[in-house]
Amino acid sequence: MKRKTILYSFITVIIILGALCFVAFREYNRKHVDVADKPAAYTISGAEIIKAFSADEKAANSKYLDKVIAINGTVKSVDKDEQSSITVILSDAGSMSSVRCSVDSIHNEQADNLVSGSQVTVKGVCTGFNADELLGSDVILNRCSIKKINNN
Amino acid sequence: MKKIIISLALVVLACQSQAQDKYFTKTGKIYFDATTPASPEKIEGTNKSVTCVIDSKTGNLQFSVLMKGFEFERALMEEHFNENYVESSKYPKTEFRGQVTDNSTVNYHADGVYPVKVKGKMNLHGVSKDVETSGKITIKGGKIIASAAFAIVLADYNVSIPTLVSDKVSKNASITVECVMEPLK
Repeated sequence: MKRKTILYSFITVIIILGALCFVAFREYNRKHVDVADKPAAYTISGAEIIKAFSADEKAANSKYLDKVIAINGTVKSVDKDEQSSITVILSDAGSMSSVRCSVDSIHNEQADNLVSGSQVTVKGVCTGFNADELLGSDVILNRCSIKKINNN
Repeated sequence: MKKIIISLALVVLACQSQAQDKYFTKTGKIYFDATTPASPEKIEGTNKSVTCVIDSKTGNLQFSVLMKGFEFERALMEEHFNENYVESSKYPKTEFRGQVTDNSTVNYHADGVYPVKVKGKMNLHGVSKDVETSGKITIKGGKIIASAAFAIVLADYNVSIPTLVSDKVSKNASITVECVMEPLK
């Protein structure tokens, strides 16, 4: 009888250890979740989020930083570098400020046929705000996906 | 009348040349590497949204990096970087303000590769420190490519490494900068 108890507790310990190892291993190898599949914490227009950051960067940081945000705006330009990282720049005509969206490489094809003036919704993680008198101020989004809005 | 026109033209020219002295990018790259020989894997992060401005006249140089913009291959590593090491919610931005100390050796109008020295102050994790490094300025087709590689001692910036992983995370992070800058118009 006693032997059986020992055996059972031994098996239980092994199972628990195995489960722990499994969880740890999975956690260790965890990949980034596609931000496109995550629900947006806030949906806001480009002009509004720039306004929020310009007015009070600290408050906006604590509200938006690290959050998944969907931003509606007009494409000003699409920037592609030699390593084919794409940045989509949203800005209203005449404004120095913009929302710069670094596109997740798995969604690069969504940026392919964007032209300046396209209406889009960009979803990404907000990484912060860069204010510069000379260069204009930017809200930066990372790991972005893009959806075109068809308004015709 | 002629004088006015000439002086106006001069003013316009002066403004133009001033604007063209500056080069900038908002898509500069910074690579972070804290791998040690004992690390079970590479500890590398990449930031693709670095803002950088250089004034070719004075050699003044400025970088702005949003810490949450560093991407790591493993999600867990990225979270640790943000939450335990650089505390990016508390200190979202790292800035460097400095100068190319031997700016006169660079001919910004002729294509070529110029080795330079850069000196300045970096503010990371709420700590401001002097940084000095050698780098390279490449002029190519009207663009400036600024690149540099240097090491920072994480402890200098109050970034502490837990003893449990002290041999697996390097105490000296190597930072590689690569910025392709265009003239500011």
